[in-house]
Amino acid sequence: MSVATLSKAAAGSQGSRRPLWGAWSLRAIAITYLTVLLIIPLLVIFRDGLREGIGELWHQVTLPMAWHALKLTLWTAAVMTIINSVMGLMTAFVLVRYTFPGHALLNAIVDLPLAIPTLVTGVMLVVLYGPQEALGAWLKEELGISIIFAPPGIVLALLFITFPFVVRAVQPVLLTLDRTQEAAAATLGAGLFTIGRRVILPPLILPLATGALLSFARAIGEFGAIVIVAGNLPMYSQTAAVYVLGAVESENRLGASAISIVMVTIAFSLILVVDWLQRREDKEAV
Amino acid sequence: MLNKTLRLFILTLALFISVACAPVAATSGSAAAPTGDASASGEASASGDAVTLILGGYTTPREAYAEIIPLFKTFWKEKSGQDVTFEESYLGSGAQSRAIVEGFEADIAALSLEADINRIQDANLITHDWHSSPHNGIVSDSIVVFAVRPGNPKHITDWADLAQPGLQILTPNPATSGGAMWNILSLYGAAKRGFVEGVPADDDAAAQEFLLSVLNNVLVMDKGARESITNFEQGVGDVAITYENEVLVGQKGGQDYEMVTPRSSILIENPVAVIDANVDKHGTRDAAEAFVNFLFTPDVQRVFAKYGLRSVDETVATETAAQYPAVKDLFTVDEYFGGWKAVTPLMFGEDGIFTKTVAKVQRLAQ
Repeated sequence: MSVATLSKAAAGSQGSRRPLWGAWSLRAIAITYLTVLLIIPLLVIFRDGLREGIGELWHQVTLPMAWHALKLTLWTAAVMTIINSVMGLMTAFVLVRYTFPGHALLNAIVDLPLAIPTLVTGVMLVVLYGPQEALGAWLKEELGISIIFAPPGIVLALLFITFPFVVRAVQPVLLTLDRTQEAAAATLGAGLFTIGRRVILPPLILPLATGALLSFARAIGEFGAIVIVAGNLPMYSQTAAVYVLGAVESENRLGASAISIVMVTIAFSLILVVDWLQRREDKEAV
Repeated sequence: MLNKTLRLFILTLALFISVACAPVAATSGSAAAPTGDASASGEASASGDAVTLILGGYTTPREAYAEIIPLFKTFWKEKSGQDVTFEESYLGSGAQSRAIVEGFEADIAALSLEADINRIQDANLITHDWHSSPHNGIVSDSIVVFAVRPGNPKHITDWADLAQPGLQILTPNPATSGGAMWNILSLYGAAKRGFVEGVPADDDAAAQEFLLSVLNNVLVMDKGARESITNFEQGVGDVAITYENEVLVGQKGGQDYEMVTPRSSILIENPVAVIDANVDKHGTRDAAEAFVNFLFTPDVQRVFAKYGLRSVDETVATETAAQYPAVKDLFTVDEYFGGWKAVTPLMFGEDGIFTKTVAKVQRLAQ
């Protein structure tokens, strides 16, 4: 809201006073809203966690249970992100390039995980893969794999919840791709794999990374589904978000804030990277 | 035109701000109203006016209170001429206690463990000696037991059997659940009191080793006791460590699991207290105190007994004794662990025995 921008806004509207006032209030409203809704609560967490200094914060973060919970959160989110990137890319490609019966419906279903309460997702997965259910029992008997109440259950829940991120990031770019290039590559004798790697993939790398990082950031904070499927055993299947709940409930606000700060910091760094990637993308588009 | 839009914007912003400030306004508003009511009617309680009591309870006795409240309404109407209405809230004991500390204006707290009442007392909301109520302010008892599958296929008869390799145990997380604290204290106490084969009495190291071997078998640590037993009811796990009343109520509700009572168990004591700051603010002290005292009458104690809780009233306890298996070695938090204020940091603090032991848990491939 510098004087320069204000006068520019004024100049843009032929010196009329009302729009100047309007532009100013619009900004004030938006910034106040952002501050009240986002920045102040975040500051409270940071103030809480740093209340007793960075040493105490570090101590809370490196307590065995907290540390394990953070590691578990990060590696399950990483595994999910890798699977999600590959499968999301393929899903987007199929949805953009092929039409088949039920195509529109399938395309709409992609967004559904955003609307389903994640707690419901958790219950759904337990009903499907739980050790006492047919499929879960079979997997355990035949393959010796426990999914629910074990880390694979966390990855599965995260995959479900973050499904739309990669697909929706890649889809619009896929739509704008110039298919004559692919045709040209094909006439020059390139195989399907080469076309995919040399022609289709390069412009998709940035949106793919954006989608992947967003899904990772989303996964770090997930609570509702995980608390149902993971089993929440400290040192084994308790994630950072569930650990934070325990800390809050047992009066350890410092511990809760400390872990939250780490989670927020990771997520925020990722979002900054996403922002930077998107700006590069925009530049490339121009 | 633009001006109009702007006004709309400002109006919205004003609305937003007023909504943001609303909790403050609402609290003071609602607080003011009952006080006004009370000064008009509460003192002269025979005038036939109405009074509202807010009950902040933990989840387990919810069904019992659904029966008790109508009884009290009749009782209080006859006694004082006032119509009582109740606002009830049921949460996990710890969560309820924190909600009250953070401003939920309950007149009466009915919680799972004393530590949660102590928290409210420490916040200066309870200023009287709540132990001065009948039975020390403890309204119902229970013990820690095991729920096992029909026919007890894993042959679980006592604490020692919980350490068998490959067993799947459900117990909630002590960080979030009062019930879980009872479970861990019962297990650890039984071990230290010499009621676990292979663990000598008063041997801290051996008792911790035993705790670890049981924790190694824990499959799910739910948020609360209710979630844990629900998971068990859905077929998860071989054993659930839980409250006796949860098992009795579950069985009455048609669940087919069996109850195993260990030789040694902790006496679970559920406290109830009037919250001074809130009853004074609302002018509801008379009705609230009457309600708490009412809970100790034999008729109400029978209702608790119906829902699987052990009665603190001797007559009712004798009447319903058949329902409750005798425990060879029953110990209390006060006598054996020196009270909640001592045991909470000792077991569940940052360097507590449970906290350190659970950090050593090794999950073997199942």
